[in-house]
Amino acid sequence: MRKTMGRVVGVLLVVLLIGITGACSKKQVPSQPGMSGATPGAYGPGAGGPGGMDDARWRELGITTEAEKREFLEKAQAFENQDIYFDYDAYTLTQPAQKVLDEKLAFLKRYPKVKVTVEGHCDERGTTEYNMALGERRANAAYQYLANAGLQGVKLASISFGKERPLATGHDEASWAKNRRAHFAINY
Amino acid sequence: MLFCRKWNKGLLVAFLGLVFVAAFIGKAAAQTYEGTIKGVNFQKIPIAVPEFKYMSSEQTQFARDMAQTLANDLDFSGVFRPLDPKGFVEDPQAMGLNAPEIQFPNWKRIGADYLVRGSYQVQGSSVRMEGRLFDVVGQKMIKGKVYDGDIRSWRSMVHDLADEILLALTGERGVFDTKIAYVQSTGNGKEIFYCDFDGSNPVQVTRDNSIALSPNWSRDMSQLAYVSYKDGAPKIYSANVQTGAQTLICNYPGTNISPAWRPGRSELAVTMTKDGNPDIFLVSSSGQILQKLVHGWSINVSPDWSPDGRKLAYVSNESGNPQVYVLDVGSGQKKRITFSGNYNTSPAWSPKGDWIAYSGVAGGNHNIFITRAEGGETKQLTSGGGNNESPSWSPDGRMIAFSSTRQGGPAIWALLVDGTGIKRLTRQGGSQELPDWSARLSR
Repeated sequence: MRKTMGRVVGVLLVVLLIGITGACSKKQVPSQPGMSGATPGAYGPGAGGPGGMDDARWRELGITTEAEKREFLEKAQAFENQDIYFDYDAYTLTQPAQKVLDEKLAFLKRYPKVKVTVEGHCDERGTTEYNMALGERRANAAYQYLANAGLQGVKLASISFGKERPLATGHDEASWAKNRRAHFAINY
Repeated sequence: MLFCRKWNKGLLVAFLGLVFVAAFIGKAAAQTYEGTIKGVNFQKIPIAVPEFKYMSSEQTQFARDMAQTLANDLDFSGVFRPLDPKGFVEDPQAMGLNAPEIQFPNWKRIGADYLVRGSYQVQGSSVRMEGRLFDVVGQKMIKGKVYDGDIRSWRSMVHDLADEILLALTGERGVFDTKIAYVQSTGNGKEIFYCDFDGSNPVQVTRDNSIALSPNWSRDMSQLAYVSYKDGAPKIYSANVQTGAQTLICNYPGTNISPAWRPGRSELAVTMTKDGNPDIFLVSSSGQILQKLVHGWSINVSPDWSPDGRKLAYVSNESGNPQVYVLDVGSGQKKRITFSGNYNTSPAWSPKGDWIAYSGVAGGNHNIFITRAEGGETKQLTSGGGNNESPSWSPDGRMIAFSSTRQGGPAIWALLVDGTGIKRLTRQGGSQELPDWSARLSR
């Protein structure tokens, strides 16, 4: 129940942020509670959505036309929507995970000026502190994969949320599998 | 019963009030139950706690409240079995306070080994409370103590009396002045709270509107180190329990988690990923790195100090899954001490240093285990009731607090070290997790 509440509040906050920024048009933004549930904007200016971006920032990303903006927002959404998943108590990158990471690399090569935070998450089973470390390992595995690709200019950060921010709130393997993930958040 | 009486013949320790600041009534000899709860067949000591006698007509409700609180404390300890007052023959307001005035055969008949006779007198906003412990068979007083203070502090007077009774009969104080820190869910976040030893009187320590985790008491109970996401990444802070003032301790790049104050020193063991791996460091109270204690490619987390501060129990997955290890800080030698199961975490060193409690997966759920600190003998204390995690010892080593989902959402529970006497401590809304039992208040 608590987790459901937390999820709902998290989603509401994300929705609220989108509402305030008002620049997401009709696009569906993933319901990633991320940091927004607790400390909105903790990752610096504009965190939480692209709505806070001014012209200078768009130019910095190399985007000038409306068409380019639309293309970026679409790709950014796909980038954020696709998590990678891990096995129980593991942080090795599976083949499907590496495939997804390759797609992320393509986006980052296209937009080398974006800032990305890799979030490591765990399922509810197991100890809080061990899961914090495990989440860190997961985030780090993805981070290293991207960093090792030799991207120029891309700013990467990583953070572990352990089991504190589950996406799925069920107590079964289907939910756990969804929560053993690394999520990729763009810091606009 | 017979078992208990046998122990009565044990050590008679002469006892001249060295320990106590408060006034003694009469001299006493304390009988010591050797190894009180170590025995598997331990039988609880039957004790009668009649209503306290009111010496003035003010605030007569305390007659029952004080007796009830004392009986609850004695029951909580796991050492005593307070008898049902319904069976008491003597009228508590009429019966005397001195041994010659007490009809001991009446108390012996209902099975009491001991009798606590309390009285109090209220004057304005202050109270004088007196407690006397009688040996029913020997028909003599064992100990007495007088308390003077504000009427509002009557509860802590009763807790202290319970501690004295435990000390007199077992050779060791109870834990009735101790606190348990824990993590409380609050809407969309988690904050640090603490409560009394029995789960009552919850007090909120942090108001960060973020995720706070892993509270850890300093030995003097003035500080709680904890982890918070309030500044984005997880960092280690310390909160002054009285003022709420917070100090940032560890703010290194990456993850800063699992603080553990070192006994006897103003230092902590923590896990940090600043070098790219979750390693365990020794840091000063201001976060200065003093030593890298455990490092490698694996996860190293959840340090917990031995009572002498020389060794560190911690969790590492260097074998491929999480297991408990012990590091000798002086020699740098480490030793794995858990071998059964593939998920053993949250080590907690017993106050006497002989056992390490931990949480291990058995039967599909997390359960509380204890194992010898040097490895070897292992006992499973919980089974068949949800997940039982994050053990923390009471400072007398008699009990272990832990979080359990055996009755719905996570709450703090406690049990006796022999696995009996399991009871729920917290009944607040939301979830309560990651308990950390304080030391005793210094006296």
